[in-house]
Amino acid sequence: MTKQQFLALFEDVLEIEEGSLKGDEDLISLDGWDSLAVVTFIAMVDEHFEIAVSPAKIAKSRKVSDLITLLGDKITA
Amino acid sequence: MRSHRLGVPMSITRISGVKILGLASAVPAQVRTLADDADVYGSNDVIKVSDSTGVKRRHIAPQDLCTSDLCYAAAERLLSEANIPRDSIDTLIFVSQTPDFILPATSCTLQSRLGLSTDCAAFDVGLGCSGYVYGLWLAANLIAANSSRRLLLMVGDTINKLAAPQDRSVSLLFGDAGTATLLEKSENEVPMTFVLGTDGAGYNNLIVPAGACRNPSNESTRTRIARESGNLRSDEDLFMNGAEIFSFTLDRVAPLIKTVLERSAWTAEDVDYFVFHQANKFILTHLAKRMKLPPEKVPIALEKYGNTSSASIPLTMTASLLEQLKRDRLKLVLAGFGVGYSWGAAAFDCGPLIMPDLIVVPEEKVRERSSL
Repeated sequence: MTKQQFLALFEDVLEIEEGSLKGDEDLISLDGWDSLAVVTFIAMVDEHFEIAVSPAKIAKSRKVSDLITLLGDKITA
Repeated sequence: MRSHRLGVPMSITRISGVKILGLASAVPAQVRTLADDADVYGSNDVIKVSDSTGVKRRHIAPQDLCTSDLCYAAAERLLSEANIPRDSIDTLIFVSQTPDFILPATSCTLQSRLGLSTDCAAFDVGLGCSGYVYGLWLAANLIAANSSRRLLLMVGDTINKLAAPQDRSVSLLFGDAGTATLLEKSENEVPMTFVLGTDGAGYNNLIVPAGACRNPSNESTRTRIARESGNLRSDEDLFMNGAEIFSFTLDRVAPLIKTVLERSAWTAEDVDYFVFHQANKFILTHLAKRMKLPPEKVPIALEKYGNTSSASIPLTMTASLLEQLKRDRLKLVLAGFGVGYSWGAAAFDCGPLIMPDLIVVPEEKVRERSSL
């Protein structure tokens, strides 16, 4: 999956406008990034990549790009 | 990244000669709707949470109505409809995370309230989400070993009594309910399959941290302070880490279902209904999708009852499968998973069952034959 495709999915998770994310935003600045969004994100990753992303690692992530890093080679540039 | 661990050894049992005779569920009369919650928390928050959890209303026990009272009401109705002589019950098991007292065991008080024989064995089991499956497993084992011929399994919770009212992470999710199931020895029953497991590493993701022996109650543990997102909670209130529990569910439930089906020599197509612990709608629909289970086989009752902890599986059977269970012989897979972490699945044939309609317990405390 490309970074752009991931951002589109992530915009769905946050329930924000399509195309509004660049990928370097601070998570804390994103309105929709709350505890429900974290769970929705975990579900989205499970559904699309069939991998389990750790809530602890999500909690340590500061930027959208950190979340992309968690998915390793599943996300191509 | 953790990988899904298949093939991890689990407690697996196949038991024959046990029959479920009937099941009854009771809820308190008092209902909270979304509108009631919106008055307290504001409708934006409430609607957002409800969209995710799927909960639109729940029954809440008033202060003087306990889990035992709800289970008692269910048992009274079930015993009456089953026309069972009380002294034929030789074992009573009470499964709950919300007992009447720290001690004595609530099952002892229920023996007395129900007028059961003093030759009856009675004990409590402190489990929640997995509690009904564990209860059935215990009952089946006791009956198969000839330790019991007829057993009353009472399972329920009033988790709202543990949730701080101004903690949105838990105050909008739970409902209260109590159930009673009768099981007995039977010669002609096909085996029931049970798969159980535990991972205490997750113990602090769903916990009431203080108030028992590890962290005794003091002024500090009783004080509600502001936590994440302004939620007010003390250490004697329920804490739940939703993301960790969701992650645990994704890790454990699909392999659990796979194992219980394999050991029963069933496929998903053979199963009439998958009755899952009603944690929240988001988890259930996600699991059903991932396991490719047809939605009509996965009843969801939490819209009207909330997450009723240990009662959720039997309550769903009463709320969603009443006519089917009264009329037909069904292949069921039950799965409870959560607090502990503890999990269990059961696969068995059952029915037709004695299934009273849902019992609604009015505001006044249930007092018949009770000295409490």
